[in-house]
Order: sequence, then structure tokens, then C-alpha cells
Amino acid sequence: MIDYIVSILTEGAIFAIMALGLNIIWGWSGDFDLAFYGYVALGAYMTLVLTVGPATSPTEYILGLSLPFPVAVIIAMLSTMTLALIVGSIALRHLRGIYFSIVTLGAVYVLYIFAGQFVPLFNGFNGVSGLFDPMGDVLGLGFTAYPYFYLALCLVVLAVVVLVVTRLSGSRFGLALRSLREDERAAAAFGRDIYVMKLKAYVIGAALGGLGGGLFVGYLSAFNTSAWSPVETITLYAAILVGGRGSTRGVLLGIVVMYMGLQEATRYLPEVAGHASFAPAFRLILTGIVLVLFIRFRPQGILPERRLRDKDISGTGGTASVAVENPITGPALDPGAA
Amino acid sequence: MTALLEVRGLCKHFGGVLAVNECSFSAAEGQITGLIGPNGAGKSTAIDLISGFKIPDTGTVVFEGNEVQGRTPHRISRMGMIRTFQTPREWPGLSVLENLILAHFEPRREQFWRSMRGPSHAEKVDAAAQLSRARTILEEFGLIELRNERAGNLSGGQKRLVEFARIRMAAPRLVILDEPMGGVNPVLGERMATAVLGFVAAGTSVVIVEHNLPFIERVTDKVVVMAEGRVIADGPFDSLRSNQAVVDSYLGEMPTYDDADA
Amino acid sequence: MHQALLTLGFGLVGAAILSLSALAFTLEYSVTNVANLSHGEILTVGAYCAYLVQQHGGGVILSGLAASAGGGALALAVHNGVIDRFVRKGIGGLPTFIATLGVSLVIQNILVIIFGASNLGYSVPPGAPRTIGPFLWTDTEIQIMVSAVAITALLYVIIQHTRFGKSLRAVSQNRSLASVSGINAHRVAALTWLLAGVIGGYAGFILAESIGTFSPYSGFTFFLITLTAAVAGGLGKALGTLVGGVIVGIGLEFFGGYLSASYNLAFAFAILSVVILVRPRGLFVGGRRSIFE
Repeated sequence: MIDYIVSILTEGAIFAIMALGLNIIWGWSGDFDLAFYGYVALGAYMTLVLTVGPATSPTEYILGLSLPFPVAVIIAMLSTMTLALIVGSIALRHLRGIYFSIVTLGAVYVLYIFAGQFVPLFNGFNGVSGLFDPMGDVLGLGFTAYPYFYLALCLVVLAVVVLVVTRLSGSRFGLALRSLREDERAAAAFGRDIYVMKLKAYVIGAALGGLGGGLFVGYLSAFNTSAWSPVETITLYAAILVGGRGSTRGVLLGIVVMYMGLQEATRYLPEVAGHASFAPAFRLILTGIVLVLFIRFRPQGILPERRLRDKDISGTGGTASVAVENPITGPALDPGAA
Repeated sequence: MTALLEVRGLCKHFGGVLAVNECSFSAAEGQITGLIGPNGAGKSTAIDLISGFKIPDTGTVVFEGNEVQGRTPHRISRMGMIRTFQTPREWPGLSVLENLILAHFEPRREQFWRSMRGPSHAEKVDAAAQLSRARTILEEFGLIELRNERAGNLSGGQKRLVEFARIRMAAPRLVILDEPMGGVNPVLGERMATAVLGFVAAGTSVVIVEHNLPFIERVTDKVVVMAEGRVIADGPFDSLRSNQAVVDSYLGEMPTYDDADA
Repeated sequence: MHQALLTLGFGLVGAAILSLSALAFTLEYSVTNVANLSHGEILTVGAYCAYLVQQHGGGVILSGLAASAGGGALALAVHNGVIDRFVRKGIGGLPTFIATLGVSLVIQNILVIIFGASNLGYSVPPGAPRTIGPFLWTDTEIQIMVSAVAITALLYVIIQHTRFGKSLRAVSQNRSLASVSGINAHRVAALTWLLAGVIGGYAGFILAESIGTFSPYSGFTFFLITLTAAVAGGLGKALGTLVGGVIVGIGLEFFGGYLSASYNLAFAFAILSVVILVRPRGLFVGGRRSIFE
């Protein structure tokens, strides 16, 4: 039972990191990127091939440098950012909306196909394995204690990510990025370089995706094309949409509901004989239904993004009734007051 | 009067249609220049060409002595030219106050590492000053009660006022207003006229595209008339009434400010 | 040369399937302005319906009809249950696109639950290859191409020469204008989706016939190539889609000869990306513009 809780929380923390990255790209910047899980996967693959030793025949993969886990994850993040820079610089130049989404979907499928078919890269379909209990031997952790350590590690990393993301969200950069999402033309009219800002957001979001991927593979110990699929991005989107698009608390809530809550709710589903994929399929059906319902009825999510509230001036941070035309007799305009 | 903005020989095709055909005019500093003409005259396209939202086939746009045609909109904006659009383009999901704060653009503060480091003491002081300035401007425009309201919830007229407030906040050298009275209750006309005059008093020259001719007569120093893609007249509003080409293109007499319905 | 013609011949088979699928997708897009990401599932469901018929002893013709019926029913259900509600509410293209992704997820996994995730095969034999001119085709492949041409011709007649077709064209050009002129846009859209589903379901059947096996994910994977053809030709433009389908279908066959066929999808997307970047609105539409035009 405890093992179950530990693994759910560990996975939840890892997916939360990924979702926070995607939230920057979609929630803040407004780009429906379907390539995101590709960055997660690349982060996983790269972390693997950097931590394990050189490939022994018949297995084939690049690198194999036996680096320490934290170093490998950081390098993996850099590689993810590089890929995102390439994809983003092409896709964000002229494309928006569904055209952007379609091209990014293409990009992730290309990665998926190459990872699965081009053996010299990541050993093709069989993938790479061998990352057992990263940092465990350095810290002298036994078999039973290790999961707790890894959970703590993931939670610490999540906490750092949340701090960074919260700060960024409330900063001028974060606010300006929202203006791109809200109305690009107006943002350009007020001096924002749309392309550069969106590209920055894209690369930063992908970095977090890669970080999540690195932590994920440390948890799984191996990675291949059956461990991921290009459309897994959609489960992250469902979490963001349900929790609160654009809002950090919202995304965390979304992971709790759509990942941990869903796992828990479907835990006791009968194992239908001969249908090993019943429970996962059922979860995906629920995910799809929730996605459609929320997009239609509650697109801002359970915890919508919080906007700046100015409490100054006689304490009235009030929401005045709207859509009332200002009367003819308004306050006199004094051009000299500005 | 120095020419703040000078447009020479602008041309733009769309498919087989010549939307803008050798358009040339200038806007002087410290003045309000109107740009009028019947529908389809090419006014909005000309504005798009000047502000960088479309690329001209030929012609030059000189702003403060620099050639800007073909440059990206944000570059032109940073040089001191801001434009509005035919429909109000506030940032709907953000609050009214946030709309104003964003109007004051400081590229360095929006950089990633700067934002991560957090504002320095000097920057905090400046931010507080900007916030205070934003509140003052909102008060002037009668929007202070709505400052925390989601900008998208406002009425059309209120959104236009937010746009004007944003312009005041940004304090550009030149603002180009694209049909600001469109869809606005004429009751707000005087308010908007005062706001436009206020721009000039605050140091922002104005080019204004409008169909509401009484409004144009009220605020402009001179008017440029376009029809079928080219400029057919250029001078003070009163002089246009006797200009046959102008009268023809508008198919009849031009109303005066006094006998306007609104 | 002989080899090239042979490859061309095989390519035409793929092109036939691709064109039908892409035409159906374009029909869906033209009347609702929605890129239907669950379009692949219409093909998959068609393939499974044909499978069910064959399991109960039905032949090719019955299977094909079942596939069309299944596809049509699904498309109508998706339109009336999801798409139309979004359109009525004035919800834009991108959120509806996201919703169709959710629909796709649901349908795929319902199929997984009912039929399992692994591959299934048809019991109808493809027949021996015949030599027709410089080409080498099996009976099944001939059936595929002939039926594809027939359906396309029928579709052309419907669109150009019937009252329904006229309403369809009106709605696709300007929905609100069509409504104001007395056309029930929702009904036209529903019937168009039904038509698209019938074609798409059949496309799924011939796809499964051509490949030999299929799974709940077959339609979606094939759909990604369909998307290439549809967007390359110009979203919403039937003729462009057709040409796009033929070009992509043949092109893939030629390049499939040099690389392993599994790279087909990657190659298709490479083509798509290039087309979108050079001409975002498709090969047969408009010209180069700045991002704001």
C-alpha cells in the first residue's frame, strides 16, 4: 500500500513538472503544441544514454558516457532545448492555430519513428535500459529505502520548478507573454517581438519537459517506443485544461485530479480476461470525455488563472458592474495630469 | 512644422486588385491629421503598410527621418509609432490595469533572466511610479472603477477608452487611430475628441482614419482624402467642401459638425 | 523504366485510398471549418465494421457497404453530438480541434476495449496479381482503384449538379450568408458529414484490404498522411485535395522504395511541413504573405 502511494506521488511529481512546462507554451503563450511529449521522450532517452556505459553488441545507441545522474539530466535538458529551438524556430515563424499544431504533431511523429526505426540512435524498438536507482549507490541507499529517496528528490525538484515558474509567471516576461496569447497584433503594435518571445517560451517549456523526462526514466530505469507515444501529450493537456489553464496552482490541481485521481478511481476496475489494456483504455476514454466537456463548458479550468488585482485607492479592488456605458457627464479630462 | 511621417508612392496589390495606388501624404508633428475616404478607398490598407502589418509592393514610408517600409510591426512600434485597429484590440483575459501596465514597454525588463532575477530597487521604484501613472490615466478616462475588471468584459466604447488610455500610457511620438469611433455610441464622441486632443497636448501626434466626418472636422488640423487607392485631396477640412473630387467620391454633400445627428 | 512504372502502379493504389480519405476530410472541413482530428477513427471503424461482416460470412460487397454505413453513422454522431454543438456556440477552430482530439481518444480506446489492441486481419483473399499494361495489380487493388474513381466521380456529380451540392457549396463558402438565404446550415453540415463518413468508412475498408491487417490505431496513423494531402492541397479545396492525395500517394511509394516503408509517415510529414511553411494555405491557394495578412 505504501509502495503504491510512493509510486503514485513520484509519478505525479514528475508529470507535474512536465505539465508546468507545457503550461508555459500553451497556458501562457497560447500555442497548442503537440510535439511536447517528444521533448519529454528525448529528455528520457538522452538521460539514459548519458548515464549508462557504452553499448555492447547487439545493442546499439549513441554516447554511453556513464555520467552521474544529475549531470546527465542537465545535459539532456540542453539537448531538449536544442531540439525545441529547431522545431520552434521553424514552426513559430509563420504558423499559428491548427497549422502550428499539425506541424508540431508531424515533428513528434518524425522523432517517434526515428527513435523506433533508426537503431544506431537509441537501439530502435528495443530501446535502452540499465539506469537502476540513480544516485542510490553514491548515497548508500538500500533497496527498500531508495523509493523514498527518489520521491523526495522529485518533490524537491518540483518545488524548485514551482518557485521558478511562479516567479516567471508574475514577472514582466510572464505578463508580456500573456499579451501574446490574448492578442498578437496588439502586442506587436506595442513593441513586442512575437516570434522571439514565443520561441523563448517554447524552449523554456521544452526544458521542463526534458527535465521531467530525465526524472521519469530514472524512475522507470529503461525507455523505448512502447514507453511513450506521441499523443501522450494529450493527457498532459487534459490535466492543464481541467486544473486551470495558465495557472500554476491550476496545473498542480489538474495533475492531482487527472493523473492521481484518475489512477485511484480506476484502480479497482475488474481485470477483464484477455484484455490487458482495459484499465488504461478506460482511463483514456475518461480523459477524452473530460477533455471535450471542459473545452466546451469550462475552458478556463477549475482554478482559473489569477490576474493582478489592485487593492489601492480606498480599498476598492472591486468588480464594478460591467457593460454599462459611461454617462456623458464623466470626470473632466485634464490633459496636464499625466 | 516638420513632417513626422512621410508616405511616398505606396502601392499594394491583392491578387489582381490594386488596393493602394501611389498613395502619398505627410503628417506633421504636433498635429492631428485625418485620413478619410469612402469604403474600399484603401485607407486601412495604407495604415497596415505604414505600421508594418503589410508589406508594400513599392513606395517608402519615412518616420522621423528613417525609412520604415517593410520593417516588422514591433520594430516600427519601438521607434515610436503605435497604431490601433478597426475593432478594439484590448487584451481580453487581462485586467484593465494590466492592459495599461503592458502599454509601457521596457524591453530590458521583459527579458527572461532579468525577470528571473527579480526587479532591482530602482526598477521597483519605477514600477510603482508607472502603476501610479496608470491609475491616474484611468481616472482621467473614467475607467478607474473598472481597473481590476477583465478587459474582455467591457463594452465596445469602454474598450476603445482602454485603448486610448493605453496610448496615453505608452506616450508614442505618433499614434495612428484606425476608425476609433466604429461601433461606439456617439454619446462618447465628445469624450473621445477630448482624449484625442489630449494626445497632442501630451506630445503624441495623431493620424486618424475615420468615417465619422463631424468628428474629423472637430479634431483635425488637416485631412487627407483617399479614393480608389490614391490620395485625391489634402488640406484643411473646410477646403474639402468645395473640392469637387471629394464631393463626388462621397456622393453628395459632406455634413458639418453642427448639423450632425449625434 | 519498367520498375518506375511498376512503382507508379503501386503508388496509384495508395493514392486512391489517400485521395478518398482526404476528400472526406476536406468535406468535413469545408462545411464546419473544423479540422477533424478524429477523422482517422472513421476509417478505423469502417474497417472494423467490414471485419464484423466478414466474421459472419459476408463477402466483399457486403463488407464494403458495412464499412460505409459504420463510417457514416460515426461521422454523423460526432457531428451532431460534438461538432455542431461547438459551432452553434460560436466556439472557434482551435478549441474544436482540441475537442476532436478528445473524441479520437475516446473512439480509439472504445475499439481497444471491444476488440483488443492487437492487429486483426481480413479473411478476403487479395487475389493473384494481373498484368495490365505496364502495371501489376491484384484484383483487390483493381477494385480499390476503380471504386475510388467511381466514388470521386459520384461525389463530383453530387456537388456540382444537385441541389444538395449547391447548398453544400454555399455553406462552405459562407456559412452565415447561406443561413440567411434560407439554407439550414446545420442540416447541410450534418448530411455532408454523413457523406464524408460514408466515404471515409469505405476508405478504411480498402485501406485494411490493402495493408492486410489493422488495429484500433490504423486509422489515426493513416490520417496523419491524409492530413498531408489535405493541407498540401489547400484545406477545404476539393480539387487541390485530390491532386494532393495523388501526389503524396505516388511520392510515398517512390520514396518507400529507397527507405524502409516505416519511414513513410516521417517523409509525409516532412513534405507537409515544407508545404505549410512555404504556402501555409496550401499549394493551390493564394500567395506569400506576412504573418498578419
